[in-house]
Amino acid sequence: MDVTPTAVRQSSSPAEDEIFAALASPVRREVLRLLRERGPQSVQDLASCFSMARPSFSEHLRVLREAGLVSERRDGRRRLYRLEPVPLVRVRDWLDPYERFWRDRLSALRHLLDDTDTGTGGRPHDSGSGPRTDQDEEKP
Amino acid sequence: MTDLDDPTVLHLDEYLAHPPARVWQALTDPGLLAQWFMPGDFRLSVGHRYTMRGTAMPGTGFSGTVQAEVLAFEPERMLRLAWRDADPGSPSAADWTITWTLEPEGRGTRLFLTHEGFDPGNEMQRRARSIMDGGWRHLMTNSLAAVL
Repeated sequence: MDVTPTAVRQSSSPAEDEIFAALASPVRREVLRLLRERGPQSVQDLASCFSMARPSFSEHLRVLREAGLVSERRDGRRRLYRLEPVPLVRVRDWLDPYERFWRDRLSALRHLLDDTDTGTGGRPHDSGSGPRTDQDEEKP
Repeated sequence: MTDLDDPTVLHLDEYLAHPPARVWQALTDPGLLAQWFMPGDFRLSVGHRYTMRGTAMPGTGFSGTVQAEVLAFEPERMLRLAWRDADPGSPSAADWTITWTLEPEGRGTRLFLTHEGFDPGNEMQRRARSIMDGGWRHLMTNSLAAVL
């Protein structure tokens, strides 16, 4: 995103808030999941997956449409909905701190495993006795 | 991550040049966990609850202290944990599921991590709050400057 860090801290863009608001509902997240798994679906097919009055369901579809997360097109007498994943890129930054946390931990895990191999013969550079294999792992 | 991924789920994976048995040990031995992850009284038993103290994550509201529970496991293949923020008033309102999956790959292991349960509604509120907080702080600083 080409927004300066200060601008991000001051206020998130309205579009981003709209996307979070749209994603806040479990029903709407389920609609997105269905579209992701099954591809474009008619309103009837989607609605049949939820036990709620049709006007309420239409309202959920409207929120998703306005957030740009789904698009609608006519196919004869049916209205087909499809997932529009591009806006999701805008909320991806949200999980960045967690992704960094896990990357750090995974790298700490790799170092721990590599280091505790020292002396057990698991790594070629541990000694000058030539190439080693996994079988050496069993040695104390 | 691809564009089609669920934005409320985080997926990561890492290749480790060690057999699944060793990776599994690092995931389940409290002594080893304390070295690369966080100290805590982990025990490999479904339903076991324990606390881990890590560092807070500024900007997310996460307090860093985790109330964890073992949900399920298959030795050397899968370990699933529930993670809640140990601070009940924490703005992160964390209620997550963490799943480790191990797959042999060549002479090593591919370790997959799935972190699920991020709540966009909560993030929306947190953002609204932090924008308001920022506004208040700004206002306070200005009024203080005017008084002093």
